[in-house]
Amino acid sequence: MNWLSDNVNQLALLGAAAILVLTIGVSAKYFKQIKEGKSEGVLKDENWDGIGEYKNNSPIGWSLAFIGTIIWGVWYWFVGYPLNAFSQIGQYNEEVAAHTKMFEKKWANPTKEDLLGMGEGVYLVQCSPCHGIDATGIEGKAQDLTKRLLKESVLAVIEKGSAALGDKKMDGVGKFGYQMGEMPPGLVSGDDAKAVAEYVANGFKGNQKGAEVFANACASCHGPDGKGMNGMAPNLKEYDDTIIKHVLEHGKQGVIGTMPSFKGRLTAVQEKAVATYIRSLSEK
Amino acid sequence: MFGWLERNPFFFAVGVFIVIAFAGLIEIVPDFAQASRPVAGTKPYSLLRLAGRQVYIKDSCNACHSQLIRPFKSETDRYGNYSLSGEYAYDRPFLWGSKRTGPDLHRVGNYRTSDWHANHMWDPTSVVPGSIMPAYKHMFTNVADLETAYAEALTVKKVFNVPYDKDIDGDGKVDVPLGSFEQAKKQALAEALKIAKETKREDLVKMVESGKIPEIVALIAYLNGLK
Repeated sequence: MNWLSDNVNQLALLGAAAILVLTIGVSAKYFKQIKEGKSEGVLKDENWDGIGEYKNNSPIGWSLAFIGTIIWGVWYWFVGYPLNAFSQIGQYNEEVAAHTKMFEKKWANPTKEDLLGMGEGVYLVQCSPCHGIDATGIEGKAQDLTKRLLKESVLAVIEKGSAALGDKKMDGVGKFGYQMGEMPPGLVSGDDAKAVAEYVANGFKGNQKGAEVFANACASCHGPDGKGMNGMAPNLKEYDDTIIKHVLEHGKQGVIGTMPSFKGRLTAVQEKAVATYIRSLSEK
Repeated sequence: MFGWLERNPFFFAVGVFIVIAFAGLIEIVPDFAQASRPVAGTKPYSLLRLAGRQVYIKDSCNACHSQLIRPFKSETDRYGNYSLSGEYAYDRPFLWGSKRTGPDLHRVGNYRTSDWHANHMWDPTSVVPGSIMPAYKHMFTNVADLETAYAEALTVKKVFNVPYDKDIDGDGKVDVPLGSFEQAKKQALAEALKIAKETKREDLVKMVESGKIPEIVALIAYLNGLK
């Protein structure tokens, strides 16, 4: 009897036997009741053409379930459904809120390695399509991020002036992004401009004449070391957090082309991470 | 009163259908009508953008690129805010797409520039190493079909009351001018010249200056407008 060793078959057989026994038992009960049973109920007063009806009170359990259903129905109609209905956007908002909370907790105090790793990730997704995977700007198509400034860029800014990454729609400091405000065009010209452009593009080295011009014409705002006096004016020596944050938020329009604004797309930590990563490129 | 209904099975079936459909009618139709209204800030396509949209459809960009950002964190991180149905109010037909061989393009205007698109369409691997997108060099010489685009714009303006030549946002200025074909073409050429200059390609600028708009310029105008 191999098939009986299977427990599903055993259960099925047991079930079949139970059905058989119950069927016989219940049938026998009703056969007996039909043969021998006597009415125990009390008839109602009404009868219809001689046909009467017993007094049958509704069972307590049934009545409670009926009333309970009405109460639940009122709750569901006015509270349950309207306040708990599924919404895809609601689910999205919860997902984002949970992620933001987790992100802020996890990266409350990131180390430099954390920032470098995160910055590289963000850079590869958001920045590399234009600036290139190696960040050299794909042969002049975008800013070469391994260097701070090109000679052409410095010359263009000297010639045209700069709104210092400002948002022209805003008033006051916000308009210019930096405390020092707008840089007027033509502060230096001719050979002086070329010399200072070469000096700045070369990382503040070489070209003695450029160094002199810088000290006279540029240092009052950008600082004698070119670092922008702690965020008063743009840092010309390296990509500091302030300039990266400004460019990400306002976009940039320069001699190379136009960079769109990335406002609202990165968190503050991510912006700092991108700045850290970009700085690390020019240190190599 | 309704005895006749019980004797006419056909009309009885119609009655049953109306009773059952009624709930759907009052629950679905108002919400649908609300959601399909243009989202604030949505404007009809200018002639140049419409011509670019036709290039997009003609070259089957929608076969590989979707235009629908779903409300998931992973998507909104990469592509921007999730899409709303009202943003497609002037899309006939919408270009949601069903497959992403390439990335979604619904908000590509926010994070790419004219010169990037020109470089990319000329030789995709020059800006995206490892890209499997084919080059679309023919777009740089083919001329965009402004006549057909104008016919489409005029048709939707007349038939569907799309608000061309109207002040949509209430600032007292016409938002998307169309006018006669000559006026619309002049406007399109001015827009095209700006974009051609942004691409930094002399051949495109020359072509626009001679009165012909290359397909790529129209397409870039369309892509830049996807926000």
